[in-house]
Amino acid sequence: MTGTAGRPVGNPFSTRHVRPGALPALDSRGRPRDVAALLARLDAVGGSAALVGTHGSGKTTLLLHLAAALEAGGRRVERVRLRTVADWAPLAGAAWRCARGGTVCIDSWERLGRLPALLVAWAARRVGARLLVTAHRPGPLPTLLECATSPALVTALVARLPRGDAALVPGAADVDAVFRAAAGNVREALFLLYDRHEVRRRGPAAPAAGVRS
Amino acid sequence: MNVAEAGAAAAPVPAPRVGVQFDRPDRRYAAEQELAVRYDVAGIEPAAVRALERSVVWYTEGKGEEDLGVHRFERLEGAARLAEALPGGTIAVRLPASPLSYEGVVVKIRWCVRVRLFFASGRDFVSEHVFDLGTVPPARGAVERTA
Amino acid sequence: MRLPRFLGKKRGNRRTGSQAWGSFGEALFYAALVAAGLAFAALLCAGGVDADTAGSPWARWWLWLFTLLIPGALLAFGGAGLARSIRAWGKSEERRAAAEGIGELFDTPGPDAAPAADLPGVPTCEDLVNSPGTILRYRLPLESPEGWTLLGIGLFAALWNTVLAVLAVNAGVDLWSGRVEWVLLALLVPFLAVGAGGAAVFVRRFVLATAVGTTQLEISDHPLLPGGRYDVLLAQGGAGALESLDLALEMEEVASFRQGTDTRTERVVVWRERVKEWKEVEIAPGVRFEAHVTITIPDDAMHSFATEHNAVRWRAVVCGRPERWPAFERVFPLVVCPGRIVSAAARAVEVPA
Repeated sequence: MTGTAGRPVGNPFSTRHVRPGALPALDSRGRPRDVAALLARLDAVGGSAALVGTHGSGKTTLLLHLAAALEAGGRRVERVRLRTVADWAPLAGAAWRCARGGTVCIDSWERLGRLPALLVAWAARRVGARLLVTAHRPGPLPTLLECATSPALVTALVARLPRGDAALVPGAADVDAVFRAAAGNVREALFLLYDRHEVRRRGPAAPAAGVRS
Repeated sequence: MNVAEAGAAAAPVPAPRVGVQFDRPDRRYAAEQELAVRYDVAGIEPAAVRALERSVVWYTEGKGEEDLGVHRFERLEGAARLAEALPGGTIAVRLPASPLSYEGVVVKIRWCVRVRLFFASGRDFVSEHVFDLGTVPPARGAVERTA
Repeated sequence: MRLPRFLGKKRGNRRTGSQAWGSFGEALFYAALVAAGLAFAALLCAGGVDADTAGSPWARWWLWLFTLLIPGALLAFGGAGLARSIRAWGKSEERRAAAEGIGELFDTPGPDAAPAADLPGVPTCEDLVNSPGTILRYRLPLESPEGWTLLGIGLFAALWNTVLAVLAVNAGVDLWSGRVEWVLLALLVPFLAVGAGGAAVFVRRFVLATAVGTTQLEISDHPLLPGGRYDVLLAQGGAGALESLDLALEMEEVASFRQGTDTRTERVVVWRERVKEWKEVEIAPGVRFEAHVTITIPDDAMHSFATEHNAVRWRAVVCGRPERWPAFERVFPLVVCPGRIVSAAARAVEVPA
């Protein structure tokens, strides 16, 4: 565990504050998730399951919290972030290291493709490795939780971020506006709050948006 | 020099306090200038410290993932070396010509002195102290791209 | 358009030259896929579908599926890869990132340009100073050379439409002899759409490129320094009239964030200065428009910066509005170093007065 001191807050919505590892795991109403209960449910479904939800619904954040809780409980955990199907090699290595009871936590499970995913799930079962994955849709693994979002979730996250200048803290109207603009994608909503913070900090003369791709 | 405490919810017990004194009170340095920092660590039992790292680094901040560059790094282990570095010590280094500190809209570049303590319990504590390299003014904001 | 250097040398942790062989191998691989697609299509069309021996038209549907899908997939995959290889040919990672944007491909590095010597975080301008100018010292490369792009699109359109033509002729012969291959006809529709789309894009770009003409920018020195003043020659080829032509200097911030399946790249222009605008520009055939201007980098300008996920980029942007054609924008990357700097080529640079 790392304690920190001394960094200026800067923009509270910058990546270092809002990346999944830095955010708390909250439910759609903004309440802390019961990680212990989720782990119990994970054991009940056999140790392998999927966290399902749309973009920016908190799957990765929850995955990281569950991984940390599993580790804290003395389990072997490997974290794998899939970008392309070519990432099967590190995934295979992680599954091998987690043989006989360890858990491979996989972000972006769908990137593997349907057939390779089935093969990996089968191979993991064969070696006794468990899989905890994030996915946009239910798949071959049982669904542990469907992640959902709401303005209350964004409000709760904002309240937990570091406070800089009090005058720049977004209000309820800001949260509602960015949640609507981001179509429920919390990550996107937090980035929109970043823009609002920058505009307010620099004064009204500065336009908000850049070009995004 | 007072240090603003931020995000210290996970600070170990007992919470260390790291105070630093820059040789330039305004913490503004020119490119390739010498930097000297005196630090003092309080609130710890020196025997509980397994190692100490002191470094001068720059990092990016903003809407992208953070990138980090290490300009100076030193790890001190063992009783004899730790006795030189605790409860206080000095970091002296010649700063490079780049990257200069920058307060952009989606990209910010910050320089800092870091003192990281590793405890025998397995916990660690890092204290960061930001300073400016160069005098690049903050970006004024986004401008229209269309001609 | 410069040829790749096949014999490169290692400079620190950077490689030069051998990247060209990598691009060549990659292009060869994709070309082989395209060739396989063509061969497959020709083979199937020539003798693979025998109406007399394959039963009813509905029983033969899978034959037509193979006829179209397998060579189609090979051609699409190979053609796209070939086009990408051609576009990336001879470019540094920095320039490829500048052209494609950071993070568009998951495994494409961001603007992680090799840093200039003794200048952490500052990209090298080696690739920007290896082309001498005709009047001024350096000719700046375009961010995305149009010639290669055009060639790639043209190649794809030609290959695709060749296969399409073979299939269409085959279908026509069937129709002429009284056999109606409905499945083949249905499958031809989307293939026809792709072929027509590719051809249309090629024709539009070709007409634009030839009608508008090339844009060249030459500069008196590089890299640039804060407070520095530099002579620039803007040359615009083509024939016809432009309502306006302008040259601007820009500083852009680029930040990329990858998480899970979501990759976002944000670009924000935070400083822009129009250097000059020319109105009612007449360009006679064979005589390019030329103009000399001076650009000035502000004293307190931020230098160019490039790391894996973040960048500060300087660029010269030429925007033209032809009277008869759509507006165009051509971007020339620049590198601004921190003041009092020695360039990557280790030559002393004095800040001009």
